[in-house]
Amino acid sequence: MKIFKAILSVPITAGLIYALSRPWGPAPALGPFLSPFSGFWQNGEKQEVNHEEIVLKADALHDDVIVRFDDTGVPHIFAKNDFDLFYTQGYLTAKDRLWQMDLQTRAAAGRLSEILGPATLEMDQRSRRLGMGYGAEANLKVAMSEARSKTALEGYSAGVNAYIDQLKPKDYPVEYKLLGYAPEPWKPINTMYMLEQMTLTLAGRANDLRITNVLKKYGKGVIADLFPDYPIFQESPIIPAGTTWDFQRLPIPVENPLKQTDSAPIVSQPVTAGVIMPRDENKPEGIGSNNWAISAEKSITGYPILANDPHLELTLPSIWYQVQLHTPEMNVYGVSLPGIPSVIIGFNKNLAWGVTNVDADVFDLYKIKFKDSTRSQYWHDNQWKATSRREEIVYVKGLEPVKEQIVYTHHGPVTETDESGEHAPNLAIKWIGHEPGNSFLTFYELNKANNYDDYRAALKKYVGPAQNFVFADNGKNIALTVNGKLPLKYKDQGKFLLDGTDTSDDWQGWIPAEQNPFVKNPERGFVSSANQSSTDPTYPYYINWIFAPSERGVRINERLAAMKGANADSLRTLQNDNFNVLARNVLPRLLSVLDGSPLSPAQKAAKTNLDKWNYVNNPESIPASIFETWFPLLQSFIWDDEFSSDKIPMKQPSRDRTIYMLLNQPNEKWFDNINTSKKETMPDIVLSSFQATLDTLQKYHGEMSPKWSWSDVKNTEIRHLSRSLKPFNAPAIKVGGGSGIVNAITKRNGPSWRMVVELGPNPKAYGIYPGGQSGNPGSPYYLNMLKKWENGELNELVFLSSPDQTHPRLTSGITFKKK
Amino acid sequence: MNLIIIIIVAAICQYFGPWWTAALIPFITLAWQPTATSFKAFATGFVAIAILWFGYGLYLHTSSEGAMSNRIAQIFSLPNGFLLLAVTTLVGGLVGGFAGLSGHLARKIW
Repeated sequence: MKIFKAILSVPITAGLIYALSRPWGPAPALGPFLSPFSGFWQNGEKQEVNHEEIVLKADALHDDVIVRFDDTGVPHIFAKNDFDLFYTQGYLTAKDRLWQMDLQTRAAAGRLSEILGPATLEMDQRSRRLGMGYGAEANLKVAMSEARSKTALEGYSAGVNAYIDQLKPKDYPVEYKLLGYAPEPWKPINTMYMLEQMTLTLAGRANDLRITNVLKKYGKGVIADLFPDYPIFQESPIIPAGTTWDFQRLPIPVENPLKQTDSAPIVSQPVTAGVIMPRDENKPEGIGSNNWAISAEKSITGYPILANDPHLELTLPSIWYQVQLHTPEMNVYGVSLPGIPSVIIGFNKNLAWGVTNVDADVFDLYKIKFKDSTRSQYWHDNQWKATSRREEIVYVKGLEPVKEQIVYTHHGPVTETDESGEHAPNLAIKWIGHEPGNSFLTFYELNKANNYDDYRAALKKYVGPAQNFVFADNGKNIALTVNGKLPLKYKDQGKFLLDGTDTSDDWQGWIPAEQNPFVKNPERGFVSSANQSSTDPTYPYYINWIFAPSERGVRINERLAAMKGANADSLRTLQNDNFNVLARNVLPRLLSVLDGSPLSPAQKAAKTNLDKWNYVNNPESIPASIFETWFPLLQSFIWDDEFSSDKIPMKQPSRDRTIYMLLNQPNEKWFDNINTSKKETMPDIVLSSFQATLDTLQKYHGEMSPKWSWSDVKNTEIRHLSRSLKPFNAPAIKVGGGSGIVNAITKRNGPSWRMVVELGPNPKAYGIYPGGQSGNPGSPYYLNMLKKWENGELNELVFLSSPDQTHPRLTSGITFKKK
Repeated sequence: MNLIIIIIVAAICQYFGPWWTAALIPFITLAWQPTATSFKAFATGFVAIAILWFGYGLYLHTSSEGAMSNRIAQIFSLPNGFLLLAVTTLVGGLVGGFAGLSGHLARKIW
């Protein structure tokens, strides 16, 4: 009997331990996960201010490093040389953001499936086919050949790895425990992947196929009419109109007039699943940014004031990580990107800078003519040229690795298809992300810069993604440079699909860096950018035919023009400006149409609301919800019948062109819905889209009531990077703004960092992002800045001049002792 | 006595070693010093590890004000971290209990 019991009991025990040691479906192995000694319990941190001063031994350091933390969790690093500085930046960034660094580099490198399985295979294949690895390797080679970037990358890697090496499994960030894997050593190429990822986010797509389809269906006349190269209703370009281009121009390339274009429309439905990489898409509005600087004349301090708020996906942890970096040659404060040494947006004792995206066309598609199905040769410059191949192996958790040979031409990887021929990829991608360079040096030199000349010199080293670099210094200069390596093109080159056989369709070199559009100390007393057109049409070179809509830029410029005696708070208020320029432009016209139409009681009630509206997208505004629902519906009611098809995707005319037509061309044929026998007119479309608006709002939010408030309808979410672990998301927030609003908070995107810097002998700076320094949901620094961000407030930033400076907001410290 | 030995030794072993020492220590302890009945062996192992996991878990839960445990509870569709602590305690208890019983019975055979 006892033997029987023992024979039963021992296997039960063994089975229990085995069952608790392995993952079940998405659930982690419960034994180690639930054990308070090793599991998630270990990731809950004490919710009180830490006043510890600790000493760590570090054998890689050349000298001691002192770190002071302030009450928002920001590290202030005091090192004696660059290696030690970036070592410590790497160590501390990993301490707060290790899993984020791991996830983001995996996403960029196409290595998510190693940890997440087949669900992310397609995403990984997209990254591989785009050549993220090709670009990262090319950039790493350049970076490692230059002493300063080499030191930074090696120091940063050593620091991250020193942190990883001292972790025990119980110390791993909770996401590793949930997913059941361990951190791997950090490599310098990971930094390049992070830069590639930024280039992808900001400059990694094009509409070439969609607009080529429009050209083929409707011809050049419609393109010229509906898809003009400069806004026709309203624009307020980044470089003020009238700026003169005072330089020796390069000859402008011309398009080959004999070029053959075929006329078959491009179908972009995946026929052979897995081959197509449809990157022909619109950048979501809300990925953009604002920055500006006002001159000493406009400020009350007697020095310039600079502001920047980059709009990116709002995530937890934040995209940004605040840090102060100090060496004998440098003292800079600002935000860094986890995984990249140095400060990306910030200020030092002498100057401040910030960035917004330039919507330059640096992503083009070329139609390739292969000799045969082996795709080993392609026609270019009247001869057959050899392709090269790059093998991509994606390791997939639980499955066999997936191998793929990617064909490369001199344009770039051939990984998309226009579905002509046999559906095999026949479109090559020419993309700035493949261009070798050392953009890190730009940030490194800006971190150390003393004056305007240093700023201009630093910018020349930058490749991409092209940014509008705003600048202000203690010498009372303000400036803005549309900066990046910009291809030299003929007019509209890359607006449509390009011919991969014709040399005249190749990028014809680069716009010289010093001829990139820029402005210094303009008459108007301020510089600004909000992703709109870089210049007016007088700039000699072609940058792109379409930029972000003009509304944010228009609003910023009108407010800055009126500003006098401004301080940091004036600029903070502008960052939180909820005024809706689009509504001001178009709503009176729409309401006048409704005035002449018979309305139902519900329509009348909604119209009354709109009549009284002050065009401000405040969180509680009901008319803002109505208008913000209405305008996109109106656009789709106008254009969907002619410019939307499942089979043949097409680009739709811009908001600017639509407004122009609504205001000035009410009899255009485009208002008619070609899918009905009735002949619709502009008022018909306005009215039917208005009814659809009310139906939509009623469907999701009930009858008109405070539930229609803009913050509820917009429903901004700040999600954890996993996107699936909802309890790690931020709690619901109540914010106004919107796309096209200076306060550009949409459902998922918005001001990922708001900064205002008052220049002067002792700069005073303010900043905030929606989250906190720590990526650990169990840390008191996970969400500590959220409430202030939601309220539109800023934290004063603690800018120290020496490690032993006393400051009431300093809390704890770490001293890294050289062994 | 066994109870105290298990709690102390299992705490040290789990602090430095893998989680399954929560089974190993009750097994060895009860194989070394079997109890009067099988039930008592199970109970000793169960209570020892349950106390240990509950106590340490409670400390981590309260000192972090549930910052992590309340969120993990939601991932597992539990209302709060305290209930997750109850689940943790039960799992730890079962591991300790079966391990203790197995140790006790193994000793009786050989």
